[in-house]
Amino acid sequence: MHIAVEHTKLGNGLHVVVAPDSTAPVVTVGVYYKIGFRLEPQGRSGFAHLFEHMMFQGSENAPKMQHIKLINSSGGLLNGSTSYDVTNYYEAVPSNALERVLWLEADRMRALKVDDENLKNQRDVVKEEVRVNVMNQPYGGFPWLDMPPVAFRNWANAHNFYGDFADLDAAHLGDVQAFFKTYYVPNNAVLLILGDVQATEGIALAKKYFSDIPGGSAPAFADPAEPEQTEERRGQVEEKFGTLPAMAIGYLMPKRRTPEWFAMALLDQALHGGRAGRLYRELVLEKQIAVEADGGIDDLFGYNGPTQMTTRILHKPEFSSDATLAAFDAVIREVQDNGIAADELEQLKVKWRSDYYATLEGGRGGYMPKYGLMHLLACFTLFDQEPQLVNTVLDAFLTVTAEQVHSAAKKYLRDDKRAIVFRAPAKGAKEAA
Amino acid sequence: MATRTVEVANGVPSLAAERAVTWPKRTKTRLSNGLEVILAASHTIPKFHGELFFRSGNAAFADRTPGLAEMTATVVRTGTAKRVSRRIEEDLRRIGADLSSSAGSDTSAISFTGLSEFAEPLLALVNELGLEASFPESEFERERRQKVEEVKLERTQPGFLASERLRKVLFGAHPYAQISPSEAQVSGYQRADLQAVYRESYTPENGLLLLVGDFEPQEMLRTIEKVFGAWSGKKPEAKSFASPANPRGRHVYLVHVPGAVQTQILAGCHAITRKHPDWVKLGLTNSLYGGAFNSRLVMNIREDKGYTYSPRSGVTSLRQHGYFSISAAVRNDVVAASLTEVFYEMDKLRSLSVPEAELADAQNYLSGVFSMGLATQDGLLTQFSTVALNELPDDYLETYRAKVRGITPEDLLATARNYLDSANMQIVVVGDRAHIESQAALFGDLQIFDAQGNSL
Repeated sequence: MHIAVEHTKLGNGLHVVVAPDSTAPVVTVGVYYKIGFRLEPQGRSGFAHLFEHMMFQGSENAPKMQHIKLINSSGGLLNGSTSYDVTNYYEAVPSNALERVLWLEADRMRALKVDDENLKNQRDVVKEEVRVNVMNQPYGGFPWLDMPPVAFRNWANAHNFYGDFADLDAAHLGDVQAFFKTYYVPNNAVLLILGDVQATEGIALAKKYFSDIPGGSAPAFADPAEPEQTEERRGQVEEKFGTLPAMAIGYLMPKRRTPEWFAMALLDQALHGGRAGRLYRELVLEKQIAVEADGGIDDLFGYNGPTQMTTRILHKPEFSSDATLAAFDAVIREVQDNGIAADELEQLKVKWRSDYYATLEGGRGGYMPKYGLMHLLACFTLFDQEPQLVNTVLDAFLTVTAEQVHSAAKKYLRDDKRAIVFRAPAKGAKEAA
Repeated sequence: MATRTVEVANGVPSLAAERAVTWPKRTKTRLSNGLEVILAASHTIPKFHGELFFRSGNAAFADRTPGLAEMTATVVRTGTAKRVSRRIEEDLRRIGADLSSSAGSDTSAISFTGLSEFAEPLLALVNELGLEASFPESEFERERRQKVEEVKLERTQPGFLASERLRKVLFGAHPYAQISPSEAQVSGYQRADLQAVYRESYTPENGLLLLVGDFEPQEMLRTIEKVFGAWSGKKPEAKSFASPANPRGRHVYLVHVPGAVQTQILAGCHAITRKHPDWVKLGLTNSLYGGAFNSRLVMNIREDKGYTYSPRSGVTSLRQHGYFSISAAVRNDVVAASLTEVFYEMDKLRSLSVPEAELADAQNYLSGVFSMGLATQDGLLTQFSTVALNELPDDYLETYRAKVRGITPEDLLATARNYLDSANMQIVVVGDRAHIESQAALFGDLQIFDAQGNSL
């Protein structure tokens, strides 16, 4: 299948990508800024995410509560999210509200208008977000918050991305405006319009609303490179609520869009592809050691720095951590020794293609149409300067050979390139439960 | 509530003319064996989504053991007369398909999605699971053991503990009262119990097959007749259960989780099912109250006061009963303050007419979000299944937006008074009693439980 994609760059450096499709009278708009929590300021852990919340608190002509109200009352949904290397803001609306959405996104790209009360309010909201997702949940933050400090040495990759509460408390309004001024410039962003719009109309509207926003200096980014890892790294985290011992094993990934990276993606599918995946099959279905064995490469296209392929295991208490890890290692050794058969590789490719189509159509939670396509186009534009990759990248996965998968397994699934986090239930948790 | 003046935006572009919303044509038929079939084409991607429903879920077998339909659905995918478990999983991957089987209170379902080019082999596998599941002894034992760990684990999740208690309080002796089996009940499951559930409920007369995706409906219908035609089986006898008593007065139920650093609030009252003529009005009332980001409750306790990240209200419709509920995970020291606002906003909607502009905004919201379902195969499938399973009129989707537009402030006031039953809300709080007991007790007589459900 072919996705029609129009791409241009405005005078202020803002990338504009339009992907027209008149299937439904719905349009999805996204703005991606090339800054995530990886490169947020030191001493301000969690700031990129807190800042994302502030983007809903008011801009020059749309004060507090108006962003949300104007989108909802147009019949639309909106949200934002912060990840390693990008922060996004997006809306899906009936297409008659397109201009309104573009006006709102342009208004907050031009000037943020927030005060101390807004910051205090959202700091409180973010703390409850961290509590509901991490501190008050069994296995909260496992392994996405537990793994980085064990696996990485560069602060950029290793710190607490949701933020230490002390750092959140220390953040002040000056930080908000400085962060905005540095990273939220049009030349560090891409605007995406997908769905019920003509390509020419989309570009014209983008110009109408965004072209008078002044460009800024190109942001200086800290170097996220990691020193070479030479031995296995291990760490422990206490599980406060859960009943089962858990562990996560992460292997360093090859660089984005190298031949090895494509091979690793298929290897990931072989290991973590649901109930047919080797790890689930061995640990849960066959040996019956684990209750859950899943994970893999999270958001493959969304990274622009060091990352891992991570397996997450919850196992039965009657099996020790050592026995569980030994069973995991046996699966890894098997693929290192014997690679994968031609028939298995064929299956993996069909599944890969099928999943890729689903990503192109798919929403977030079923009701954010084209979220997946938006995300791919944004990452291909910001990281690769090549949005058309959305139409060609699939081929690179479908031409991976069994030899490439085998050699990726040998080169990347090595003990000295991995980190392991054990998350064991606290002593006495049983009595407390 | 809003302590600061809400400012308005300057220079907002007005909305262009609305584009028509056209739902795809549904092809509806019934095979000679009684299987109901609904098909609709959607060519967004070269794939299709499907669901094979059976109109019996956990409630239908609750007189035997809770959760039996769910356990049956879990084991259904682990073996057939023709294929062992591993073969099923590899065959799915070979054709790029995903499949899951599960059961809720009122239905059991096999859900699947795959490439259009492999539609026939996928449907053949679905047919095999519906007709010839073999319930291998070793697979059953493993899944039962897994389930024991799962039910232990869910007792550590605040959201689960809150839902479990609320459903118990609202539904008493009715099967809807128990959302999950106990560890002892799971241990007592027998393979033969599952096979009986399977035999009785996985029948074409009890079934509904829904497909949406990249295919030509008449051609797909021929494939379906070929694949599913040989199957036969009667509709099971419908079971009826006495209506649960509607609890009177506010009561508070505290589930004590030592060391909890936050409190999960969940409050609810009896409401209506989707078939009720007031359903759309209640949907709009809910979206104004706490069902949308822009709703009064979210603006109050999140955007104004910062008590919580994710407050929401909603209406849950089961086949025989529905209920309205409000949930929020809040800071421990503002449990009473949050509940005060929950009731303030509820009582306000019951007392004061909603301003016209706010009503118009909410109508736009509900009708706009409804049309998002058009954009994806899965979104369409969800809408079509809602209509079919709830036996709503054929033009439900086509007339929904007009119904939303026709609602008046007087309707909202009457709906809030009928269904946002402030005086009879049942309030569940899950947290550490040391921090929240005295706050919770302000809202009604208080009972305290531990995470296992024992009275403390």
